[in-house]
Amino acid sequence: MKNPIVVLGLGNPLMADEGIGVYLIERLAQLAPQYPGVDFVDAGTASMSVLHLIEGRRKAVFVDCAFMGEEPGVIRRFTPEDVRSTKVLAQQSLHETDLLRILCLARQFDQAPERVIIFGIQPGLVALGGDLSPALSGRIDGYILEILSELHT
Amino acid sequence: MPKTVNVNVHHVTRIEGHGNIVVNAKNGKVEKVQWQVPEAPRFFEAMVRGRSYQDIQTVVSRICGICSITHSLAATKAVENAMGIEVSEQTDKVRILMHYSEQLQSHVLHIGYLVAPDLFGFPSVVPLAAKAPNIVKAVIRLHRLANEWSDLLAGRTTHPVTLVPGGLTRIPTAQQLGELRDKLKGCLGDLTAVAGAVLSVAERIPDFTRETEYVSLRQDSPPAYTFYHGNITSTDFDGTVPINDWKTVANEYVCDQSTAKWTKWHRDSYAVGALARFNNNGQLLSPPAKDVAKMFGLKKGCCNPFMNSIAQLAEAVHVVHASNVLIDELLTKGLKEEKVHVSPKAGKASGCVEAPRGILFHEYEFDRKGNCVGADICIPTNQNHANIQKDFEKFVPEILSEGEDAVRLKLEMLVRAYDPCVSCSTHMLNVQFVR
Repeated sequence: MKNPIVVLGLGNPLMADEGIGVYLIERLAQLAPQYPGVDFVDAGTASMSVLHLIEGRRKAVFVDCAFMGEEPGVIRRFTPEDVRSTKVLAQQSLHETDLLRILCLARQFDQAPERVIIFGIQPGLVALGGDLSPALSGRIDGYILEILSELHT
Repeated sequence: MPKTVNVNVHHVTRIEGHGNIVVNAKNGKVEKVQWQVPEAPRFFEAMVRGRSYQDIQTVVSRICGICSITHSLAATKAVENAMGIEVSEQTDKVRILMHYSEQLQSHVLHIGYLVAPDLFGFPSVVPLAAKAPNIVKAVIRLHRLANEWSDLLAGRTTHPVTLVPGGLTRIPTAQQLGELRDKLKGCLGDLTAVAGAVLSVAERIPDFTRETEYVSLRQDSPPAYTFYHGNITSTDFDGTVPINDWKTVANEYVCDQSTAKWTKWHRDSYAVGALARFNNNGQLLSPPAKDVAKMFGLKKGCCNPFMNSIAQLAEAVHVVHASNVLIDELLTKGLKEEKVHVSPKAGKASGCVEAPRGILFHEYEFDRKGNCVGADICIPTNQNHANIQKDFEKFVPEILSEGEDAVRLKLEMLVRAYDPCVSCSTHMLNVQFVR
């Protein structure tokens, strides 16, 4: 049975800061017993499968690496309406996705939750290699607190 | 009429590199035609070195969000081959069933989200969904089913967690398998609807043919339309090559216009994917899958790369039918909890499966403690790059008179038909705040 709130961590932990969403979801999942109405999902690079992971929920919270023109490590909370995507899609393969377009499709079919919140974290390094850069690794506790504060509403 | 055409479709980003399409023609004469792949070289092989044999399949599952089960299976099979580990019949069947779920998921996504918008004349699935909601809804339902199917067997939708060398950490219950079988039977209506919708616009599939070599797995004992077992074969070769000898098939080489390695076997290029499997093994498809191929006039020996998507459609029907048979076999025999006991040992071997987009090779070497000391991965998309280039060289002169926009669109459609996997390692957001 799906819980009314889902937190989705997106990204690839093999690509340094690109994996911040997955890294944080692993930490958040350890707190799951304290949040019985919340599912914590490592969505990795699942792309279109996000459609099904958010379906039937009241609220979806995304945690993802985001190029926002900020300093590395900065976290920003926003809704899909607050931003426009500047991502250029080659449309050559299924292996590229734009979360904002997936949300658009979900809305077209009334599959989107009432509330969608995105936490974007500006990367310091996106390259092959497993470790987070210091700009992010030193702020993990702050990120966790900020995301948790979103789960009470 | 003399035609001057310049097409430059550039997607040069080092991290999310897609292919560039470059065409220069002057007064009807083609001066340059290139399929350039500027993708950043991947070092996944380096990332598994030093890791335990127990962790390889987990790391490589992150290579790709679409074919993560496929990569995990290829790695697991390679580890088992390297260490002489046998798996039970039950494990084998559950893994094949798991693998089928990814074939359905990937094929349905490719046809619904990339090919259908082209054929219906829309730039993407979003406007298609507004104009033809019933088709897109059928695609979404099929995708949801494939996701639930992966969840049940792989432990989650992507990046599987149930696979381990020697077996599985979890198997489904008889009740769960029975429910899955009911859902699979119920999805045939949606598959028929999607096939019908594609058929209604099939005249827009470009009529282009170029003879080439098609490479895939082939399973002889017992004969089966295989994605998982067997050896390597091709339309230019009557026999089969053992999996461990895959390098004599791929013959990887470096090419100036690409940072990805290219491959060739009996000709200067070969193709892998659904059409390659169909051309080698099409007679073994289930009857309803053969009916789909027939609807579109797809026959063995087809050399139109655009028909790869139709072969995928036939395969989508096939895997649903084959899965029903597998579930029946598993339920008849009864499911048993199995303990996995594996002792690491030194060894080197390969594992091979068919990814939705073509044959995939993984090779690993381990020391006596089971730590990885060497790895080599050859993905299907790299095996298709040379073939795409050769297709471009024949196709461009044939369509040059149609003008720049048509040339660009048709070349993009051709690339999409191969269902490439050129950028799956990152999925970050790029946004600008508007309020």
